[in-house]
Amino acid sequence: MKVLNLEHILTQNGFGFAYLSADLAVLSCNPLFRNFAARQGEVLAQPLPLLFPETFGLETVFEEIAAGTRPFFKLETLQRDLPDADECYIDIAVYPTSRAEAPLFCLIQNVTPKAQLTQQVYQQQNEIRLLESIVRAHQAHAALNIWGTSEPIRQIRQTIAKISRIPTATILLKGESGTGKSMVARIIHHAAMGKTAPFVEINCAAIPDTLLESELFGYEKGAFTNAVSSKTGLLEAADGGTLFLDEIGEMPHKLQAKLLSFLETRRFRRLGSTREQEVKIRLITATNRDLNLMVREGEFREDLFYRLNVVNIELPPLRQLGDDVLLIAGNLIQSFNINFQKRVQGFTPAARQKLRNHRWPGNVRELRNAIERAMIFVESDMIDAADLQLGSLQAQEPSASPLERFQLPPEGLSFDDIERKLLEEALALAEGNQSQAAKLLHLSRDTFRYRLEKFNLL
Amino acid sequence: MNTLQLHKKICLLGTFGVGKTSLVRRFVYDKYDDEYKSTIGAKVSQKRLVPLENSRKELIQFNFLVWDIEGVEKATPQVNHYLLGAHGFLLIGDLTREETIGALPAISEFARKIAPGAPLVLAGNKADLAPDGSHTAAVLAEVADRLSAPYLLTSAKDGRNVEDCFTQLGLLIAE
Repeated sequence: MKVLNLEHILTQNGFGFAYLSADLAVLSCNPLFRNFAARQGEVLAQPLPLLFPETFGLETVFEEIAAGTRPFFKLETLQRDLPDADECYIDIAVYPTSRAEAPLFCLIQNVTPKAQLTQQVYQQQNEIRLLESIVRAHQAHAALNIWGTSEPIRQIRQTIAKISRIPTATILLKGESGTGKSMVARIIHHAAMGKTAPFVEINCAAIPDTLLESELFGYEKGAFTNAVSSKTGLLEAADGGTLFLDEIGEMPHKLQAKLLSFLETRRFRRLGSTREQEVKIRLITATNRDLNLMVREGEFREDLFYRLNVVNIELPPLRQLGDDVLLIAGNLIQSFNINFQKRVQGFTPAARQKLRNHRWPGNVRELRNAIERAMIFVESDMIDAADLQLGSLQAQEPSASPLERFQLPPEGLSFDDIERKLLEEALALAEGNQSQAAKLLHLSRDTFRYRLEKFNLL
Repeated sequence: MNTLQLHKKICLLGTFGVGKTSLVRRFVYDKYDDEYKSTIGAKVSQKRLVPLENSRKELIQFNFLVWDIEGVEKATPQVNHYLLGAHGFLLIGDLTREETIGALPAISEFARKIAPGAPLVLAGNKADLAPDGSHTAAVLAEVADRLSAPYLLTSAKDGRNVEDCFTQLGLLIAE
């Protein structure tokens, strides 16, 4: 009677159970056991491992239980696919009995609610741990952040791996606008320096010539009219880390001499100071200009050029990277999926073809913008060719240059209006960078600025 | 020649987020889902391999009971119970996170304690995200050498070498 009561209680509380023979065949069971087994057909006389594959391989363990040398055995939180439940977790426990013909008792408990709660907690914890772990991995092997399998990309990765072991080597990054020079500078920094080492970046073209010197070297109070207090320069700020001078070709000649002096001695003085200071930094410089040519034309100091050009990394334009454009675009999708909480899977064949065919004058920056724009508006899980707006620079008539396509309308045009429009477009294309905008119009920076002033565009 | 039918218990082990569940899904159902869902406990799936021939020219067809076990870094009583009776282990690291590969020797140690004779195969997963010749692949090769186990670079996403991992394990068990 007691046994019957216990069985009743177990069934009432949602447990499945079965009595097993020494060779694990089911001798008797309650209906819930059949449900958990989720097996079509007869359950009785079937071996337990056939009904619950989770118990396969545990024959020795069950023998020990039947022999009384092991008190019981339990497998916890086993996920099962059941026909009438989305998700089910069970515990399977096997106990000895006092019945010779049925020495084992198998108990199945549905632990789904508890398991689901645990799963939610694990999910949150693991997502955070996963992100932290990814960040650690990226810091440790920063060169892996340069996506691509083409030969130029492989070589860049190899060079970075080598120079990361020499944290004082001076590096010159060359490449067209948008090829990722700033990103590569950061990657080199993270690959070589500790977590707390500073990375200080300045664009030599973005700061007026007169300010660049004080920004770099700092100044003492009273060094010049507006120096009401002392200021730490970027050289000092970068001590123990990396100083990245972007667009080094735009550095004024006078300042080039001062930078050269610093590179030779690793010492400098703040403006208005008599005290020399020493800093330990890695200097990375970048340019999209031909420094060799600038040296020949006297625009850039030859001695400084050789000082900067210790390790030279040429970043290839995107159009030379073949199918890497697809790989990079795919990785950008993953990245924007996270940012925009979308689940875009990839590109249609037509979109892939469009990506391959484009010339990418703006390089990775242009690609990134194109993918970001597509990701914002795409509604399907695949980006199609129509979703990719690849900019007006894509040649509609590849054979005709913009000049050839231009036609003076019969009613004529204001020359000033054209000049103003050209200046505005060049600035927009160069993202406000006056030196680059000047280059686009084949003008010197001074001439360009004079014309901006003429149209009140400064 | 008769084909020997054998059921074998295979356990997948590795730290969290290396793609154990994705590998099982690819191997058993030939499916892949980008979404990360953390596994708790364990889930057993079954898959019959194509018949393999061992060095004694015996033809064996394995029915693998594949245990997808939650991410582990050290032995726990619960995980030890899962491993009892295992015939082979697939140890998985994530090629984009070196630390997951560094954790494999400790994992192999407790797995071998529970099932001493069971062979190991190492898988460097997420090969689609790691450039060829990446540093982590070299680390995996070093770990595999230290554990005297074969290794493969896999991708549950594009399916590369997933089937081969299990076949490799089957061949080792068949010997």
